[in-house]
Amino acid sequence: MNGPGRQDPPARASWVDWLEQRVNLSEIFSFLTHFGLVYTPVDTHKPVREVLRDVAAKPVPRYAHGARALGLLAAILFGLQIVTGVLLAYYYRPTPEAAFESTRTIVRDLPGGWFIHQMHAWGSWLLVGVIVLRLLRLFWEGLYRAPREVLWCCAVAMTWVVIQSDFTGRLLTWDSHTYWSTVRGLEVVWAIPIAGPVLAFLLGGRTVNEDVLIRFYVLHVMVLPAFYAAFLYLTFATLRRVGLSRTGPAGDERTIHYREHLYSMTMLTVGLFAILVTLATLLPLRFHGAADPYVTPGGVRPPWYMLAPYVLLQRLPLPWLSGLVLLAAAIAVLLIPFWLRGGETREHRLRIRLAGAGVLLVWLVLSVLGALLERS
Amino acid sequence: MPIPEDRPIHLPAADPPDRRRVLTLLSQAFLALWGLGAAAVVGAYLKAPEKRDAERTVSAGLLDDYRVGEGRLVRHGVTPFYVVRLDATRVLALSAVCTHVRCILGYDPAHRTLVCPCHDGRFDLSGNVLSGPPPRPLPGYPASVRAGEIFVQV
Repeated sequence: MNGPGRQDPPARASWVDWLEQRVNLSEIFSFLTHFGLVYTPVDTHKPVREVLRDVAAKPVPRYAHGARALGLLAAILFGLQIVTGVLLAYYYRPTPEAAFESTRTIVRDLPGGWFIHQMHAWGSWLLVGVIVLRLLRLFWEGLYRAPREVLWCCAVAMTWVVIQSDFTGRLLTWDSHTYWSTVRGLEVVWAIPIAGPVLAFLLGGRTVNEDVLIRFYVLHVMVLPAFYAAFLYLTFATLRRVGLSRTGPAGDERTIHYREHLYSMTMLTVGLFAILVTLATLLPLRFHGAADPYVTPGGVRPPWYMLAPYVLLQRLPLPWLSGLVLLAAAIAVLLIPFWLRGGETREHRLRIRLAGAGVLLVWLVLSVLGALLERS
Repeated sequence: MPIPEDRPIHLPAADPPDRRRVLTLLSQAFLALWGLGAAAVVGAYLKAPEKRDAERTVSAGLLDDYRVGEGRLVRHGVTPFYVVRLDATRVLALSAVCTHVRCILGYDPAHRTLVCPCHDGRFDLSGNVLSGPPPRPLPGYPASVRAGEIFVQV
């Protein structure tokens, strides 16, 4: 069939064949699927139709659904953020005078603008949530162990990038509450050793002004998405080397057809969008009015993922000490595969899981404390 | 032409190992210097200009516009401050930026205190911390009245 002597009859030549002879379509397909969907290497020497047939015939582990497909949800949400973000960028102007005005124009005056903005805002909430849950899941199932260290580091780096995207995006509306929550979130950033002073130096001081706004804008719309895409690519490049995890119930080596996998992924996407649209329409995030750098409103809180470090900063006597704790924690999480080694015994795994659950519990308690502290 | 087997062959490609090491080191050092230079250029470009207030003496309006005990926020550059009229002739200027996390203070004329909306830190009109988390007292600025107009040295 695909021998060297095979000749397509000219009558059956379609535009795919026409293009195939001029561009390596399989290479393009391989590149695109490095950002999602295909977990196995693609033979780029074959014509694209064969490649598609190969991919569709590949078995996929049966357990790859639900909580084990959080990475896919993250990828979809990232795509949604790109699309809605580009749409928002057509009208948004990143200056202190125009930021709130232009956001209001988008939300109030443009047809469907409120919907696109709410999808973007809620999408970021869900993206942060999904990516953190994915990290927890990877830890719980021990998926940082060899040979999956790079996958783990990518997951941690993507979490950082997503949290930074959320943080920089909050400021852009120049709403009074998000403005002051950024001011207060930055207090945590300043406390981080090395990174804090360097950032303060680059931002030209510790006040949130027009320079900070445009820097956050550039980070939010160019730099951070590029990093995220790079880590996504690296994730799939790793997956193609080490394969999907086999973490189902012991002995569950059953596989399903790729088509079935695609079907369940589609259902997951539909469900995700159902949740997103519901949140965006029924619980729209509210505005409070344009930010005034000379008036701090009451009841402003740091973003929820900053509450725990914020409590440390408030309650530990030395700011640099809490900053150091933060930095150490971030590096420790990133390097888990390299220091959390040991036997593969059940006891060992149980102990690690318990330790992780303990750390999570401390984090949750600190966050609740932070929320209470802010309310009082 | 075949090379006779007994003649020694000098291969020009094989440098002495230490010369090669030195060359490698030199090129690495050059690249590192280049990287440092590039980082310096990018860093210098990226650094936002420090915002400084050009004016040193700021007018805060006419003394007669203030009631006794009234405090007003003067929106001055990166150092907003409060001007409070203490009595018939005396005024006082005090930074409006909380020393804790840089929230802008509110003025409570009943108690003559400055209150932070973020963490409920309180300052008296001398700038001293009365309660709450602020670590340092508020800086004050010299204020004077000339021809009925209040001037503050920032």
